[in-house]
Amino acid sequence: MDKKLNLKLMIWRQKGPKDKGAFEIYKVKDIDTSMSFLEMLDVLNEELTHEGKEPIAFDHDCREGICGACAAVVNGKAHGKLKGTTLCQLHMRHFENNETIVIEPWRAKAFPVIKDLIVDRSAFDRIISAGGYISAKTGSAPDANAIPIPKENVDLAMDAAACIGCGACVAACPNASAMLFVGAKVSHLIHLPQGKVEGKSRAYDMVRQMDKEGFGNCSNEYECEAACPKNISVSTIARLNREFMFSKLTRKT
Amino acid sequence: MVKALQHYQTSIGRKQIVATTGLLLILFITGHLAGNLLILGGPDLYNSYAKFLTGLRPGLYFIEALLGLVFLIHIWVTYLLVITNIRSRPIGYRLNSPKGDRSLAAQIMPFTGSIIFAFLIFHLWDFTFTPHSGAASILRDGKDYGLYGLVYNAFSDPLHSTFYIIAMVCIGFHLSHGIESFCQTLGFKHPKHTQAIRLVSNLFGVMIGWGYSMIPVYVLIKNMVNN
Repeated sequence: MDKKLNLKLMIWRQKGPKDKGAFEIYKVKDIDTSMSFLEMLDVLNEELTHEGKEPIAFDHDCREGICGACAAVVNGKAHGKLKGTTLCQLHMRHFENNETIVIEPWRAKAFPVIKDLIVDRSAFDRIISAGGYISAKTGSAPDANAIPIPKENVDLAMDAAACIGCGACVAACPNASAMLFVGAKVSHLIHLPQGKVEGKSRAYDMVRQMDKEGFGNCSNEYECEAACPKNISVSTIARLNREFMFSKLTRKT
Repeated sequence: MVKALQHYQTSIGRKQIVATTGLLLILFITGHLAGNLLILGGPDLYNSYAKFLTGLRPGLYFIEALLGLVFLIHIWVTYLLVITNIRSRPIGYRLNSPKGDRSLAAQIMPFTGSIIFAFLIFHLWDFTFTPHSGAASILRDGKDYGLYGLVYNAFSDPLHSTFYIIAMVCIGFHLSHGIESFCQTLGFKHPKHTQAIRLVSNLFGVMIGWGYSMIPVYVLIKNMVNN
């Protein structure tokens, strides 16, 4: 028989983008330890709905740890205390009975709160639009082995491509920098033949957009890597730095 | 030119300026330490080194002006970066407990940097822009020992020495993150070398901090023995 948990939750409530917002305290009882963190919030929301209160708004989609929708800082840690997992894959067995859990949205100027725990991450979309693609028309998905690529490069590209754009790197960064996100996108494409050609201009354009969005500057403290649910390495940031160097000076346009 | 300016108005461009100027400052600080340690060889050796440096003028003025410029660029561009960093998170977390292992040295970079800047101004006033002979240079035997005497007398004051040692500990911390950071920002880093770079960075920080602190410590001990 599974253990049941009684918990005290301290959750950030904010009615809308312009509301000031504040923490509110909720109590949940008999939480099954096999539940995921989001299921625990579902239980609370059901209770709130029955009481005629506004449920807590939080982002979620696949609940399998691959979509990048769920996002919250739990007890001061992005996606909670487990390494290499998203919030939906954090299970209640990692909490103690009668524990107080503080739940906050991502905090960054570039990620304004829309409601409660939901933040606007469209800044990431605009960074991708600025250069996170290959401009040549490549047609529909080619056969996987049409262009053979050395194994090491494929692995590096794939490791970087694991980024799900959840924004935990920004949330965990002491300076709210998006360098791990941009580093992952740049590293992902640079290791593949068709992405390689536009490497420098892509790095420059994406960084320019990143700066415009109001993200901070990387100070090499590597909190992003520790918080990343996909364990993306900060060596992708080194790669971005390398691509960026002289990028504006050497590009033709 | 316009392109260069645009390039260095970006976050990474600025960071690369800070890293490059930082490296130049590391070279200076290493050379400066090597010269300073000659004080352990006695007044004649040290003063002849000071005389040798003075002999390099006026060419040396040019190098000094360049060094000053490098210092100012390093400080100014870092200031711009830090301001953006503070503004990038207007509302902080109620609870913030890092998941990673961010080092103390990394966390206090702007703080140690500011102390080093304040120290630098004091240091120039203290030893550079002050007469290198006369009352302050006379040791206990009544003779004028020039720059050696000036430094010796200054460090004979435990308060003065303590201030220097604190500043040198700050430089040690600053460099222990600085060298590692330099490698990452200029894109040299690879997971294969992470441990080695971190070790070198920390060792270098300790070496510089300890090397410089040795001078006031040496003077204080020498005084204790003589008394």
